[in-house]
Amino acid sequence: MKRQLIYPMEEKYQEYLSDESKMMGKANSISFPQSEEEILEIITKMRKSHIPITVQGGKTGITGCAVPSKGHILNLSNMNRVKEFIKTDEGNTFLRVESGITLLELKKEIRRLKNQEALFWPPDPTESSATVGGIASCNARGISSYLYGDTRKYIEGARVIHFDGTIKDIRRGEIAIPFLGFEKDLLDLYIGGEGMFGILTELTLKLQPKPKEIWGISFFFEKKEDVFDFADSLIRENLQGEKANLAAIEYIDKVTMDEIQKRKAFMTKLKELPDIAPEFCAMVYIEIHGWEEEALEGIAEVLMEMAENCNSDSNRAWALSGDTDIEKMKNLRHGAAECTNLFIEKIRLKEPRITKLGTDMSLEGESFKSVITKYETDIENEGLRACIFGHVGGNHLHVNILPENYEEYEKGRRLLKKWAKEIGEKKGKVVTEHGVGKLKKSIFLQTASRDYIEELERLKNTYDPIKMWNPGNMIEE
Amino acid sequence: MMKIAVCIKQVPAYSDGMMDPKTGVMLRDGLESILNVYDLPAIETALKIKEEVGADVHIFTMGPSKASAVIREAYSMGADRGYLISDKSFSGADVLATSYALTQGMKLVEDYDLILCGKQTTDGDTAQVSGAIAKWLKIPHVNWVTKIVGIEKDSITVSQMMEEEIVTLKIPYPCLLSVEPSIFIPRLPSLKLKIGSKKKKIEVLSLVDMEDKEEGNYGLAGSPTKVERIFPVHRTEQQKIIEKDSREAAKYILEVIENINK
Ligand SMILES: Cc1cc2nc3c(=O)[nH]c(=O)nc-3n(C[C@H](O)[C@H](O)[C@H](O)COP(=O)(O)OP(=O)(O)OC[C@H]3O[C@@H](n4cnc5c(N)ncnc54)[C@H](O)[C@@H]3O)c2cc1C
Ligand SMILES: Cc1cc2nc3c(=O)[nH]c(=O)nc-3n(C[C@H](O)[C@H](O)[C@H](O)COP(=O)(O)OP(=O)(O)OC[C@H]3O[C@@H](n4cnc5c(N)ncnc54)[C@H](O)[C@@H]3O)c2cc1C
Repeated sequence: MKRQLIYPMEEKYQEYLSDESKMMGKANSISFPQSEEEILEIITKMRKSHIPITVQGGKTGITGCAVPSKGHILNLSNMNRVKEFIKTDEGNTFLRVESGITLLELKKEIRRLKNQEALFWPPDPTESSATVGGIASCNARGISSYLYGDTRKYIEGARVIHFDGTIKDIRRGEIAIPFLGFEKDLLDLYIGGEGMFGILTELTLKLQPKPKEIWGISFFFEKKEDVFDFADSLIRENLQGEKANLAAIEYIDKVTMDEIQKRKAFMTKLKELPDIAPEFCAMVYIEIHGWEEEALEGIAEVLMEMAENCNSDSNRAWALSGDTDIEKMKNLRHGAAECTNLFIEKIRLKEPRITKLGTDMSLEGESFKSVITKYETDIENEGLRACIFGHVGGNHLHVNILPENYEEYEKGRRLLKKWAKEIGEKKGKVVTEHGVGKLKKSIFLQTASRDYIEELERLKNTYDPIKMWNPGNMIEE
Repeated sequence: MMKIAVCIKQVPAYSDGMMDPKTGVMLRDGLESILNVYDLPAIETALKIKEEVGADVHIFTMGPSKASAVIREAYSMGADRGYLISDKSFSGADVLATSYALTQGMKLVEDYDLILCGKQTTDGDTAQVSGAIAKWLKIPHVNWVTKIVGIEKDSITVSQMMEEEIVTLKIPYPCLLSVEPSIFIPRLPSLKLKIGSKKKKIEVLSLVDMEDKEEGNYGLAGSPTKVERIFPVHRTEQQKIIEKDSREAAKYILEVIENINK
């Protein structure tokens, strides 16, 4: 007997109506295909009945990209096999995987590969239950994008199922499409495409040799002036070398540290970390990746001196090395994002109209101090509370408003719109790594250029003329 | 000043379940090595005592030369001196031989007032080495220590977690304590000490240094434990899927738990 593929929505599938944005969606049916054949069968049925499909990976996105607005949910979490490890004559290494594999599973699989040197896949948006398909579709970045850049660079090919059921293998550099007067690699339509143009069933990931040494250092500061000086000096000084590099520079403010502290006892991964002393008003986490221990230590010593010049006591700075210990620090940084999401989840029990209110804007060229002071002043003037954390490079900060009620939520929404406008006017990026989805759509449509939106609509009409994929993402349905 | 020795071990970070199918020995090659997590609270306990009453904290580890990494880690937490007990003839040691080599090594350096061990290791997992060291040294040994209650001039008072009660014990020096992970959250290494740790000396103690130079008392030769076979446990996987609404499901889970305790 053939197994049932499509299930009507019932209470037990409730969790599939939401993602980490905490938006709540609607759908009539759901499926968990295990192969391309099953996907084809499902989409053929849906196409015949004119039912749109929302594609899901790990549901960890924070802009509601994977939250269905109607129709069918096609969840790819059961498509998580590793297909092939490829090593070219030039020594390049690739791993072909099904798109539903999670980062956690991927790391384990890479560790098991029979290869002389250890390998890794650089994109790491810290959330280990995110899938490769979701990461590709959001062109996510994560903390070490400071060194490695975005996901695009680490995807060599994809296998795509289109609305009409045709399947295509797309390789980087093979087909270019016109985009805003330039040429765009067809592959890059899908990477960052938020599932609007087709389903990625397989991805060929470009693996990199894993740095031999990794250090993670957390510097703590008692005064804001000092942390701002430190952040600005990190960007000003070029510490990158041949044998060792700064891979991540992350800022975490006092409100965020307090939120982490409050929830720590209940978060298994954070329980074993020592408490952060209450006199600290901010911390900066830096990761150094290197090939030679001495080069790496050299950078660490320079950092120590810079931090001491900014009154951060290096006796109290945490310094860890090795994968297992570094994971502890990553968990702390991840805890920052997780705590704000938990805050929203809790407040929603009282006020279901509230969703996540977090920014993903970056603004290069200005000082860290001026960017953050602007945010803090606005937040204070509105009488709101917010967590501020994120990437020092490009002043790419995630400001997460913590509303206590609907009125504060509305105030927060207005602030986000105001910031988007201001940053858009200064030619900053309003949406940098989390995608647009449904939550950031109004901000995106308000700030993106008309040409850009029209180009997106044109591509959508070309690649998905029957509007089958992910209704409601990015552009109006 | 008080003299404290802490015994720590380097272990594989994870096993990935890889074993040599013929010998049943765990394959450690190429795996990341870390400091046994249960030994971190032992180091922390020593450092807390040092902060409170002043003490010299010495680290001992038996292992191959790369095990010096765990001594460096202890340095970057604040330990004063470190000794690597390492010799070709020490390898393949069981509990008896491990504890003997550690005891021989410690004897060379100091008469310690207090020796601290972790609860157990994550690879050998026997939780026997500490007791064996105490036996060699003929000193009192307390397991399951969850709290340091007081540090006096000639004794230490601790809480010991027994199955159904907490016992408070006053133990004269010299003595050996095996601490539970809950005793303290270990501090993280400090940047300043970590950078300094690279320049700090680690002393290596090998067979020629020991008081007892009889090779047959160490390592594989000195290990009466004979491993006949190691095999994965046969698991009976039972997976019952219950579909109920949340209230009913909660009731059901409670029932299951209550039945386990019966
Ligand atoms: C605590 C936390 C911290 C985070 N930190 C970061 C961070 O530092 N940096 C960062 O960039 N991101 C971060 N993220 C968000 C990150 O972008 C997402 O976790 C990830 O990119 C989405 O993966 P997913 O598998 O959960 O995708 P989902 O949320 O399930 O889907 C995301 C989008 O991808 C589409 N999609 C998924 N799979 C496919 C497929 N196979 N084919 C076509 N479309 C598909 C979906 O339709 C949807 O539009 C964080 C998230 C959390 C919860
Ligand atoms: C059936 C069996 C077969 C084994 N086969 C082998 C084998 O073939 N080859 C092999 O090498 N090992 C083997 N071992 C492991 C070996 O016996 C133990 O690793 C060793 O005796 C230490 O004991 P433990 O790891 O159980 O330490 P535990 O007794 O669990 O450790 C308690 C505490 O003692 C201290 N301690 C333990 N070991 C050290 C150390 N090395 N240096 C400093 N302090 C330490 C630490 O404070 C630790 O927290 C085997 C073990 C068993 C049970």
